[in-house]
Amino acid sequence: MENLYRNTAPKFKTVDSIEILPSQKHSLSNHIPVHIINGGSQDVVKIEFVFNAGIWQQKKPLIATLTNSMLNEGTTSLTASEIAEKFDFLGAHIGFSTSKHEASVTLYSLKKHFSETLELTADLIKNSIFPEKEFKTILTNRKQQYQVDHQKTNVLAKEKFTELIYGKNHPYSNSYNISEFDNCSLQEVKEFYQTNYTASNCHIIIAGKVDEDVLTQVDNLFGENKWLKQSELIDHTYQNIGSKEKTAFVCKEDAVQSTIRIGRKLFTKTHPDYTGIQLLNLILGGYFGSRLMQNIREDKGYTYGINSIMLSHLKEGHFVIVTEVGAEVCKAAVQEIFLEIKRLREELVSEDELSLVKNYFSGEMLRNLDSPFALSDGLRGNLPFGLDNTYFAKFIKDLKAVSAERLMQLANEYLKAEDLYLVVCGPKECEDALVTIN
Amino acid sequence: MIEFDKFTLKNGLRVIVHRDETTPMAAVNILYNIGAKDENPERTGFAHLFEHLMFGGSINIPNYDEPLQMVGGDNNAWTNNDITNYYLTVPKANLETAFWLESDRMLSLAFSEKSLEVQRSVVIEEFKQRYFNQPYGDVWLHLRPLAYKEHPYQWPTIGKSIDHIEKATLEEVKDFFFHHYAPNNAIMVVAGNVDTQQVKELAEKWFGPIEKRELATRNLPEEPIQNEFRSKRIDSNVPLDAIYMAFHMGRRMDEDFYIIDLVSDVLSNGQSSRIFQSLVKEKNLFSSIDAYITGEFEPGLFLITGKLVKGVSMETAEAAIWEELNKIATIKVDEYELQKVKNKVESTLVFSEISYLNKAMNLATHELLGDANDINKEVEKYQKVSVDDLLNSSAKIFRKENCSTLYYYSKK
Repeated sequence: MENLYRNTAPKFKTVDSIEILPSQKHSLSNHIPVHIINGGSQDVVKIEFVFNAGIWQQKKPLIATLTNSMLNEGTTSLTASEIAEKFDFLGAHIGFSTSKHEASVTLYSLKKHFSETLELTADLIKNSIFPEKEFKTILTNRKQQYQVDHQKTNVLAKEKFTELIYGKNHPYSNSYNISEFDNCSLQEVKEFYQTNYTASNCHIIIAGKVDEDVLTQVDNLFGENKWLKQSELIDHTYQNIGSKEKTAFVCKEDAVQSTIRIGRKLFTKTHPDYTGIQLLNLILGGYFGSRLMQNIREDKGYTYGINSIMLSHLKEGHFVIVTEVGAEVCKAAVQEIFLEIKRLREELVSEDELSLVKNYFSGEMLRNLDSPFALSDGLRGNLPFGLDNTYFAKFIKDLKAVSAERLMQLANEYLKAEDLYLVVCGPKECEDALVTIN
Repeated sequence: MIEFDKFTLKNGLRVIVHRDETTPMAAVNILYNIGAKDENPERTGFAHLFEHLMFGGSINIPNYDEPLQMVGGDNNAWTNNDITNYYLTVPKANLETAFWLESDRMLSLAFSEKSLEVQRSVVIEEFKQRYFNQPYGDVWLHLRPLAYKEHPYQWPTIGKSIDHIEKATLEEVKDFFFHHYAPNNAIMVVAGNVDTQQVKELAEKWFGPIEKRELATRNLPEEPIQNEFRSKRIDSNVPLDAIYMAFHMGRRMDEDFYIIDLVSDVLSNGQSSRIFQSLVKEKNLFSSIDAYITGEFEPGLFLITGKLVKGVSMETAEAAIWEELNKIATIKVDEYELQKVKNKVESTLVFSEISYLNKAMNLATHELLGDANDINKEVEKYQKVSVDDLLNSSAKIFRKENCSTLYYYSKK
């Protein structure tokens, strides 16, 4: 038997490129774009209808989400309970989600029931009636959920942070008072539906076992010329008013931990520095081996977890570090976070660390893009930027080319201490953590 | 149908291989047959704390995470009352790195004082974050000891209290390792773009030399049959009143497990389910409500948890739940409704088989419970359930004297 060297790592290969199952683009008879990712081992189909009907397009808080989540509350021919009954009987799942610029309806169906489940989906997208009683129930339940969420330090800190960087009324902050639940009317929801859930405002992504039959069925139900009449879409513009005040403390007296958020507004994924910043973010707090995780959790034991995120909305993005720490170590944790950022500005990342994060990141992409369903999520995120999934291959190539010197330049350009915002939410004793950067 | 190969090494390590060519990745999942139920009642939370220590370096490899990240891998682990499960995924070409890392920490940990000290603090912060810094976060700390008087399921995986975690010593850590972490107390599943021959060679090479160990004997106390209604009232700084009801049921491997799982589906799986339709949509008594089973290996719990709509009294809400429970315990569910929940189960299983990692975890659990191939018999077991079964099992479980109820009141 060969000798076993347990203290030496086996040889390994790096992921230099990833093979991505490509998407095909079609269009329905009425020109709705359809993107198809065909593959997978199971006889299942996921179809997502995406409308430009997000927070950005609403005139008042709550309207976009309420409209989206009420689509299965009744149509001209079926009640809410009949719709639920049919989807459940066919073992299908119908999901609704609203983001900053889009709202979507996603059907997960066994292939063998696709024609029936698609027909139901078409009914609720095209013929929803928004009954008064269901509206009231949803408002009550959402309001209660709001109250529960607003007991959490992480929710309060997130709201304050996005308010500071984007301004309270900007869609990317989307914070609103509880009184809004009493201010919104069913009429506004219906109008939002009429205006935004139209054929001309829609695109479709299909993933899984997608054959000719599937496409024909989709075209039969959604390819007709006019489902809901064409309407004038308003192009909303918002003033982005970042706060001059760089720090804020939100008091939550009974909290046993405080939430810390540190970050700033940045750019979107089409910016030339985006790839480099993603890598910098990874090194700082983007994975378990990150510097913040190793320092704040694995060395000091201040927290259960600490992460940093680089988030790209359609028009702007932001970078943010998030953690929940014991109240007694809040100030020390903030200081350590600023120290780690300072190290990025002043010290070159070692070649070992750089190759580790590059390898990890490529492995992560391979892992996250390995199924048609996962790829359809990726595609949904890329499309609004005029990109498709070939973006990922380019991203890996660009990532491999980023040097330690470039990372230091980026840190000096984008992560200056004076440009960073700091929000702490916790008991009164944590307020002195703000002093750190003042 | 999930196909797999199975073999056992001389030291007792069971290995299962499942090939899924649709992914470029490979998963290695190692389940250790040790959970919070095996803990000393004075040192609860230990199994979970120990899970953290498994990442603190092993006998020949000072750092577990770095070499794995270097080859594009990622990992995590979880502990529950029955088992501790470790999993990682790597690009398929780097499978050997996984065997190298996992075999070394099965061989022996580094047992560093610093790692213990830090992970105690990390777990204490986890305790605070999950149980004390969330509204309703401490529910399980109250409900488990209300429902269980003897059995170790009376404490949650995180432990009874923070001071148990503070007391853990390095001696206890070593002792725990050598009595529970052993090839003969583990099941390894390798799934993804792999082949059995390669896995066999790697398993022999890296795990073969690890000695079989003498395991601690498991001697769990039997929970006495509950014969009177139990309740507890909490007044807390939360915005809404809530109710939590727990009923004793059987083991994961008992014949009626699948029946009771379907009872919970009739009551609360999906928007068309009974309690959602009647208590949330029609009567507007709850803003959210759920019925589910813990699915634990030893006799587990059937739970109903709901948040009340403001203005609804606890008595009204509780009575409305009992009305639904009495209904399912006295009137047969109709065939259509049973078929609906069976369809849903079947569909859920089809979707869950998309993920190679999911399959790996499920194969490991089934193997521990008896036979990995049971994974392929699940649908059939659900299909066999009849409307009479639902009625009989519901009548057996939904009795007042089998119930522990936690009334969670808003102080505001």
